[in-house]
Amino acid sequence: MSTIAALVLAVSAVLPPAPAPAPVPAPAGAEAILAEVRKPGAGAVLVNVWATWCAPCREEFPDLLHVARELAPKGLRLVLVSVDFPGAEAETTSFLTSQGVDFPTFLRTGKDEAFVDGLEPQWSGAIPATFLYDANGKLVRFWEGKASYPVIKKRAQKALDTKETR
Amino acid sequence: MTRKSLLALPVLLCLAASAALAGGALPIGATIPMADVKMKNVDGKELDLAEVKKPTGTLVVFTCNHCPFAKMWESRIVELGNTYAAKGIGVIAINANDPKVAKDDSFDVMQQRAKERGMQFPYVVDATSNLARAFGATKTPEAFLFDKEGKLVYHGAIDDNGQEPSKVENAYLKLALEAVLNGGDVPVKETKSIGCGIKFRS
Repeated sequence: MSTIAALVLAVSAVLPPAPAPAPVPAPAGAEAILAEVRKPGAGAVLVNVWATWCAPCREEFPDLLHVARELAPKGLRLVLVSVDFPGAEAETTSFLTSQGVDFPTFLRTGKDEAFVDGLEPQWSGAIPATFLYDANGKLVRFWEGKASYPVIKKRAQKALDTKETR
Repeated sequence: MTRKSLLALPVLLCLAASAALAGGALPIGATIPMADVKMKNVDGKELDLAEVKKPTGTLVVFTCNHCPFAKMWESRIVELGNTYAAKGIGVIAINANDPKVAKDDSFDVMQQRAKERGMQFPYVVDATSNLARAFGATKTPEAFLFDKEGKLVYHGAIDDNGQEPSKVENAYLKLALEAVLNGGDVPVKETKSIGCGIKFRS
């Protein structure tokens, strides 16, 4: 074995493995997203609407994932919905991979108005937007604009505390 | 003020606060808020909405430079603005974003964009974001159209297809502008589109 090959092996042994690529977001309209929310088994569901080019969305992402990972054992489910434009699949998947997302996510399809009102009539359409549902799939809170880790965690925890898991 | 009206005041304040929290946009029929607040235009001059307001009707569009949704509709906003300004409608575009959050929303870039796109109407800075708050605007782009009496008759999207202009089925704002010009009823008064949340100054 050459010295270089030995060196490469030695370095790769100490470096963490590259994260597995995130699944490509599945196209979905508002109904499909709500069906995901109502799937049995969750104690609460967070739906986050985001885009790769949206700076506050990107800033909020690690905090959302942090909360989702911490509260997953208590039944919190995170549903990520990208509103990136067609043709941006590679960029979207690459961002999700960089964030360590290893679960299925969604890509909004259809016209804006049907999607916005179909998901939640109170939503103005501004992103980022986050919707919090209880164990029965009932919307308990939603907000436009990014929220911080402690705020997201407190809200999610409250939603988990108020209902029994389905 | 009577004792009764004093008692009613907190209730009214609470109602106003809850409307704001609920993202309550200016209701149809409302008049132009904060019309006397001066804003800096891309030509360097200061102007307010009272100066923009025309007896034929007035169009206020919250937009910005950086947002991909605003960019998608930008050429349509400019075309509608230029066309209907020439027909006597008062037209203004307002950028309420904090450039500290979105650096491309700086005044320099606004000037450059207005020039490149050939905007023949003012493009001003809402320096406190309070105009956007008063309108209840939440995103870019978002249009508010007032009729000849100064009443809000349309609020919402430019049209129903940002990504593919050739596939627009409902040109909401254009239809509303035509109705205002011709004295007819605006067919669809409130619509929604997905947009970039306004980066409000704190």
